[in-house]
Order: sequence, then C-alpha cells, then structure tokens
Amino acid sequence: MDITFSPAEQQFRAECRDWLHDNVPDRRRPMDAADALAFDKAWQRRLFDAGWAGINWPTQYGGRGLSIVQQVIWLEEYAHANAPWIGANFVGVNHGGPTLILNASEAQKEYHLPRILKGEAIWCQGFSEPGAGSDLAGIRTRGRIEGNELVITGSKIWTSFAHVADWQELVLRTEDGSQRHRGLSWVICPMHAPGIEVRTIRKMSGQTEFAQVFYDDVRIPLDNVVGGLGNGWKVAMSTLSFERGTGFIADQVKQSEEIEELLERARQTGAIRDDGIAAQLAQLRAEVAALRAMTYRNISQVVRTGQPGAEASVIRLFTAELGQRLERMGLLLAGDDILDFRYGNDNLVADYLRGFAATIAGGTAQIQRDIIAERLLGLPKSR
Amino acid sequence: MDLTPNDEQESFLTATAEWCADNLPLDAARNRPAALWQQLEAMGWTGMTAPGMDLDHATEALVFAELGRHLAPIALLSTAVAARWAGQPGKTALALLDKDLTLGMVRVFDAPGAAHALGLVGGLAAITPLPSDLGGEPGLDLTAPLAHLDPAPPFTAVGGPDAALHLQLLAAAFAVGCADAARDMAADYAKLREQFERPIGWFQALKHICSDTAVRCAVARSQLCYAAGALDAGDPRAAFHIAAAKQLADQAALENARANVQVHGGIGMTDEAAPHLCLKRAHLLSFIAPARRDILLGEAA
Repeated sequence: MDITFSPAEQQFRAECRDWLHDNVPDRRRPMDAADALAFDKAWQRRLFDAGWAGINWPTQYGGRGLSIVQQVIWLEEYAHANAPWIGANFVGVNHGGPTLILNASEAQKEYHLPRILKGEAIWCQGFSEPGAGSDLAGIRTRGRIEGNELVITGSKIWTSFAHVADWQELVLRTEDGSQRHRGLSWVICPMHAPGIEVRTIRKMSGQTEFAQVFYDDVRIPLDNVVGGLGNGWKVAMSTLSFERGTGFIADQVKQSEEIEELLERARQTGAIRDDGIAAQLAQLRAEVAALRAMTYRNISQVVRTGQPGAEASVIRLFTAELGQRLERMGLLLAGDDILDFRYGNDNLVADYLRGFAATIAGGTAQIQRDIIAERLLGLPKSR
Repeated sequence: MDLTPNDEQESFLTATAEWCADNLPLDAARNRPAALWQQLEAMGWTGMTAPGMDLDHATEALVFAELGRHLAPIALLSTAVAARWAGQPGKTALALLDKDLTLGMVRVFDAPGAAHALGLVGGLAAITPLPSDLGGEPGLDLTAPLAHLDPAPPFTAVGGPDAALHLQLLAAAFAVGCADAARDMAADYAKLREQFERPIGWFQALKHICSDTAVRCAVARSQLCYAAGALDAGDPRAAFHIAAAKQLADQAALENARANVQVHGGIGMTDEAAPHLCLKRAHLLSFIAPARRDILLGEAA
C-alpha cells in the first residue's frame, strides 16, 4: 500500500491545476434549461479541445488513453477549482459512454463516443418505468421486431435530461412473453424519432430536469441494439456498475470541498462554538476523508483487476448518504434563511431538495442494502 | 498510489489469519492459555515495526486488524509501540490514565508477565515500570485483566508525537478487526437462525442491519489503510488521517457490536454467547488514544 503519487502523476496534477486556473468560467451554470444546455455543451467542447474529456477513454474514440488514476486526479483538481457541474453530459460521459466502450460494436463506438466527448450528443437513461422502479426486471416497454427495425411502445420515467437529449440508453422487452430479466435488450434510441413524446416533470426543487417519455410505435434500426438482442439485462448491469462504481467519483471528490466550505461557514458565523455542531462537523470531516480513501481503494482495485471491487455498492450507498448529511448540515448552518427559498433559486436549499435523489436514483438505498447483504455477506435473496 | 495490499502484504495477512484461526479462537478470548504470549512473540507480532525490522505501518495495521478480529490480547498494542519507540523488549502492559493525567489513578490492562506499562500522558506515549506482582481481575472487557495503580506512578515520555500516532493507529486497527468480527458473526447467525420457516437474514429488517455493519467496516478499513500509508509516507496530515481512522473504527466496532447483539436476539444477551465479547472490547478500545475533535476539525496547533 502506498498513498503517494508518482512524479509523472504529480506533473499531470500540476497541468490540470494550471489549465483549470486559467479556464474555469466565472459564470455559474445557468438555471434556465435552454441556457444551461448551451452552457454544458460549450464547456464540454472546451474540455475536449484542451484534451480533458475522456481522460481514460481509448484514443481511437477521442479519449486520452490515460489511466483511471489520472482521471481521478483530474476530478480532484476539477472539484478544487470549483469547475462547473457536468450537467446534461452526465449520462453520456459517466455511464452511456463507458457502457458502449465495453459492449458496443465498432461502428457504434466510432459514431457515438467522439460525439459524447465533444458535447455534441446529449444522452439520457431509459431504465425506470411507472411500474418498474426498484423492480427493474418488471420492464414492460416493448420493442417488436419488424424486418430490420424495432417498433417501440411503452413509457419510461424519471428520465433526467430527456427533454434535451439526442440519444437514450433504453432497456426494453424485445422477446414476446419473456419474464423478468430474460428477453430484454439495451438499445440506442434516437430521442428525435417520430412517436416519442417527452413530458417534463417538475421536481420539489422547482427544476424540470427529469421527465416521462412515451413511445408510440417508434421505429428504430435493429442495428441500434448494443451487446446483442436479449442481452439487455447483462448490458444494463454493466451500466449500473458504472453508475454505482466509478460514475460518481466526481461527487465523491466534490464532498472533500464541501465539508471545508461548511467548516469555514461555521467558523465565520460562530456556529462551531455549538458543541453539537462541532461534533457533527468533526464526524463529517472524518467520513469525507474515509470516502476519499474508499474511492482510492476502489480505483486501486480497478487498476489491479480491471473492475471495481465488491465494495463498489458500499461506496455508492455511503456517498449518497454522506452527501445528504452534508446537505443537511448546510441547511442547519443556514438557519431560518432557508425559508426565503423560491423556485428558481440555485442554492443550498435547491441542493438539499435535489439531493433526495441520491438515495433513490440508480437503485434506492434499500436496494443497495439488499445488494450489499446478498453479495458481500451472502445472506439469502429475498426477491 | 495503491490502497490495496500488495502480494507480500497479502501473504502476511493469509498467514496471520490462518494462525489466528487455529490459535486465537474468538469465543475463547476470555480464557487464553498462559503460553499464548510467548507464541505471539515467536510469531513476531509484538515488534513488527521495531528498529531493524524494516516493516511499514501499512502491513502492521493490516496484521493488527486481523489480530483484532480475534480479540487478541490488548497488550499487543502497547508492546508494539514500546518495541518501536522505547526499544523495550518483552511484554508491555497497556495503561489508561485519568483525564487529569498527573494525579489520580491509572488502569493497567494485561499486566501479568509485563515489566512495564505504556499509555498516553498529555498526548505523548509514556512508559512506567510495573510492580512485579501486578496481576489483574477481569473488568468490563473480559479478555483483559485489569489492575489499578493509585496514585499513578511517574511516566517517562517515549518517542515523539509519532509514537502516540502509532498507538492510535494500532488501536484503530484492532477496532476495525473487532467491527469485522461482529459483522461476520451477525451475518453467519442471520443465515443460520430460522423464524417464520426461513433464515432471519431473508427479512430486509435484519438484512439491512447486516448491510450497515458491512458499510461501517469498509469505511473504517479504507481510512485505516490511508492513515497507515500517511504515517509511512511522512504525510503532514498523518495526524488528521489517523484520528479520522480511530474515530470511524471506534464507531464501527461499537455500532457493529450492538447490531450483532440485536441480530442474535435472546442468545445475544447471554454471557455464554460471544457477541458481548466484541461489545466490551469495543468499549475498551474507544478509550485507547481516542480521536481528538480539534484534530478532526483541523484546529490543533
């Protein structure tokens, strides 16, 4: 075990820091959806042009072909520089893209991966349905095969960025009468295809970042299936392993900055003199340090074996709950000022309200606990 | 940067785990054979990082977590620190001083066979000779004979601040091991015990108690590894990282031990069953070089 970075890695860190220092926009990410999309795309393009997009993606698809350790160093410096949230590029960059790298055909990779990295193609996820939330295998959206086309009927929900997305990672039932996780396929669905209707849903934070998507005989080429017809469950699990494993490194790293900001605020306001608050902040600071250590351990595991360890689901759960504890501490320090919150504000109250997603999206905290108990501890499956 | 054990550390760990399984069964923790200490010394665990041994704290922390998982004798902690910083061979008992340090009494754990005791005095590791006939009776932790010296004898500081960090790191490692033991005991019982015609571990209410024990273990162990690496690397933030490791390890040990009693139900309440051994050990560990809040908050001078 060794916590130190090599001279080459330290050099890389210095390059990240210098570039971010000169290039991070002063302007915050806009709240208005259209402005935010333009902002996200422009920023992603700027990252790509400077060589900071897809640091550990293969070079033939526009990446840098560097190590995951360098990717983490970049994210640490990114958070430290207070650079913008990835926004609408989240799904493409953090799990759509990695899923394609692992499972897609050469043609699919060549077409889609560079577009994701350049911020030209926005992706959204199509896993959850009104009747298939935690019970993901209950998917009922159907893809009927007609010649060399799939004809899609059904609905997906809680789809972040559906209203601005160009593509969707869509899991649907392609085998008539199939049950549970059999007969599913993972397909690339063009969001501009005729028959797709997107109805945005306003969150309790006031934002309309997610939506319900309806498919009414939507025709897409059979060639858009990734990883083979009927293999959707397996491909979806690899997507979720990114979502639960390495997809949230940026969030994990960001929490290191957030706890220091909270501490600073508590010192400024004198709240730290409150014994209860001081105790909670001390605890949070220890937990944030441990999260970083866990992230490093997970990364070390990826470097050593090529995949995240069994602890990935633990990290996902811990990150989510720790993030919520930090948001709640922010609220506590803000006091009754939170009562002035209005829809359209982008502040710690919005973060707090939006942060409920952390223990719901991508597998609820309860599902994560089931997974930990069953896979790590070998307890009997209750589902 | 690599926070996974290397091949050498893995083989050390495997050897330790195998030896412990044969010689340190947890449920016999309160009744260890008299010759055990000599065996521990012969295995090299009492002075792994002593001068000339060339072993790093990372390896030591992993091995101590394994020993801690079997509720190994508590004097292993003080003995390792004395061997490293005081050049003190042989068994060194563990001393816990009253909060007001110079006055008052001192509790000495695991004294039989020890010529000295080591504890923290004013934030530094310090040592004192022991009366030769100092024995002890079981206290809360049934595995560690406890004696009182009143008034406290004079202590002599050994090593610099790193000696105190060393003790804190090893105590954290013991706590991580204790948390692991409670996690595994609870999970094993949840698979075995049946109610409503199925293993109780089938029920989410029980399952999620068990998951949380695994989360606490993973969190504490990760920070332990990082902290040990920080001490090895001479990192300026080593004191913070070790304090964080101790804080999280103590919590993991205590909360997992409590969860384990709960999962065991009625049998978990008994003297005969093992869960209380972990619980009581966790309480003892929480008093050994506890994490200081000012260090966790980055406020220490």
